[in-house]
Amino acid sequence: MTAPAVIELEGIEKHYSFGRSRVDALRGVDLRIGAGEWVAVMGPSGAGKTTLLEILGCLSRPSAGRYRLRGRAVDALDGDALARVRGAEIGFVFQSFNLLPRLSAADNVALPLVYARRPRAERARRAREALARVGLATRADHRPAELSGGERQRVAIARALVNQPSLLLADEPTGNLDSATSDEILGLLRGLHAEGNAVVLVTHDPAIGERAPRLVTIRDGRIESDRAGREA
Amino acid sequence: MRDALHEALATLRAAKGRALLTLFGIVWGTASVIFLTGWGEGVAIMMERGFFKTGRNLGEAWAGRIGEEFTPAVDRRWLWFTTPDLERVRERVRLSELVGGEFLAWTAASYRGRVRYADLRGIDPQAIAIRGIDLAAGRPITQADLDHRRRVVVLGDQVRRVLLGPQGGVGSWVRLDGRPFQVVGLLAPVGVQLSQDRMLIDEQVWAPLSTVQTHWPAWWTDEPVVSKLVFRVRDRRLVAEAKQEVRAILAERLGVSPHDDEAVGIFSTIEMLDRFPLDEATGLFFVLAATTLGVGGIGVLSMMLDAVHERRQEIGVRMALGATRGDVVRLFFLETFAITAIGGVAGAALGAAGAWALGRIEAPDLIPIPVLRPGLVWLALGVMTGIGVAASVGPAWRAARVDPAVTLRME
Repeated sequence: MTAPAVIELEGIEKHYSFGRSRVDALRGVDLRIGAGEWVAVMGPSGAGKTTLLEILGCLSRPSAGRYRLRGRAVDALDGDALARVRGAEIGFVFQSFNLLPRLSAADNVALPLVYARRPRAERARRAREALARVGLATRADHRPAELSGGERQRVAIARALVNQPSLLLADEPTGNLDSATSDEILGLLRGLHAEGNAVVLVTHDPAIGERAPRLVTIRDGRIESDRAGREA
Repeated sequence: MRDALHEALATLRAAKGRALLTLFGIVWGTASVIFLTGWGEGVAIMMERGFFKTGRNLGEAWAGRIGEEFTPAVDRRWLWFTTPDLERVRERVRLSELVGGEFLAWTAASYRGRVRYADLRGIDPQAIAIRGIDLAAGRPITQADLDHRRRVVVLGDQVRRVLLGPQGGVGSWVRLDGRPFQVVGLLAPVGVQLSQDRMLIDEQVWAPLSTVQTHWPAWWTDEPVVSKLVFRVRDRRLVAEAKQEVRAILAERLGVSPHDDEAVGIFSTIEMLDRFPLDEATGLFFVLAATTLGVGGIGVLSMMLDAVHERRQEIGVRMALGATRGDVVRLFFLETFAITAIGGVAGAALGAAGAWALGRIEAPDLIPIPVLRPGLVWLALGVMTGIGVAASVGPAWRAARVDPAVTLRME
């Protein structure tokens, strides 16, 4: 029996218009990801990996097709409804961390809780817990500029998991890190996966892709292959 | 809301440089508007004060020669007013509330060997009331002084200092052209006058009208001559009508045309004042102030636009983390509102304090003191806050309208 679906995509298309020219970033993508799955997405530059991730993360709406997230149709929701879905269901880890430079690590981590309208005391407690989970309990009051690259990405992971989302989306999370730090970050993500989170990870790195239990390869906006990683 | 405000303040603290510059623009703009507009009004008040030092709503009438248009040149006789003319005017005027008479002479005033050539004025209680000068000591000249032609004088401040010096005062006896007069009062200093005849009030010696008429009689007549009539217009908007009323009464007495303004000359400080483009000056100051506010506003506008532009990616991150458009707009609204409110209140306080302080320092008479208008303070505050809020909320709203994916890619 397969796990209940977190993500169900049917015939997803995404077009961008630049004046008269049109770019088809995704051309009819069908994809189903079950709860607690670990999926790596690979493909050459411009293949549509990031666009797919943006649609999965409700950061962008598909031009056509249907998207159900945990059984709920999200392709037709308006901006504010999508914002609430993102806040409740999805954690993001970006290649460039995307931490707010003016806020401390703890305040950065607490940000999703602000928009989930959690009380201040609860926010502070959960942010510190999340930071402790990524091993940064002692760096809570530091600003991003005072942290190393690996530490910043760990803060970003703490931020992604603070709302206990059902889906973690990571876009090249180790792209800006050295190999030792990359292993550390991947180790953290694996730990979260082991706790039952579905993880979708976009990567250029074959070593990461081939080690994933499931590897989806994209080319020219279409899914080229969907199989188990060779070293998984 | 409290969270959003807390976060807005934290962001402002974090971006101190920009916040301070914006703050400066707002403080300067608001303070300038309040100060400059107040200053414009202060100039008007200063001019009025300067002109009205010789008497509020004052009119002065003097007799001249019959005008050329009204008689052949050979018959252009000289005219003069007398005490009965003054009384006639006093009985009949409706548009003026007070009518007084003055007789002007020159005299050599002496006291203990000191001599000063002074402007001697025979004056009556109504003229004194019109002049409205405070007494520094003693009493004014009264109707009883006139009735008994008493030899009493009230000295202007400058005359007192030069003639009496520290030794003399109320009760001292001075000599005017050799005749002894007792000093019964001393005028308070008047200072700079924007309107004067012959000499400043500070340099005048006042004595009862009847006494001066008796001891310094006109050489051409035995009648009690009044050199000029002074009157206070009830309503300054009716100054032209009030002048014409006085002229008509006097013309009838003198047997000349009521339209002959050479025969009966009339001067009014109200008309002098009205001739100055005070409304235009106030308007000019207002335009200057509005320009300053506008320039400050543009500074705030550009800083805010810049701030929002720079933070578009941050808007994307916040939205990715669950912020709605309303959350983003609220954040920027509160940030700008906080900074414009702080700056506006500080600017208003600075402008008001500047105006207040200028009113307190010992300054010469002709420094205009800015006038504070609460409505204007609110207007300046409102405009500044409005510009600031519009400058940040508008772009934030637009930035929050596009998909977060688009703003996030703007690295």
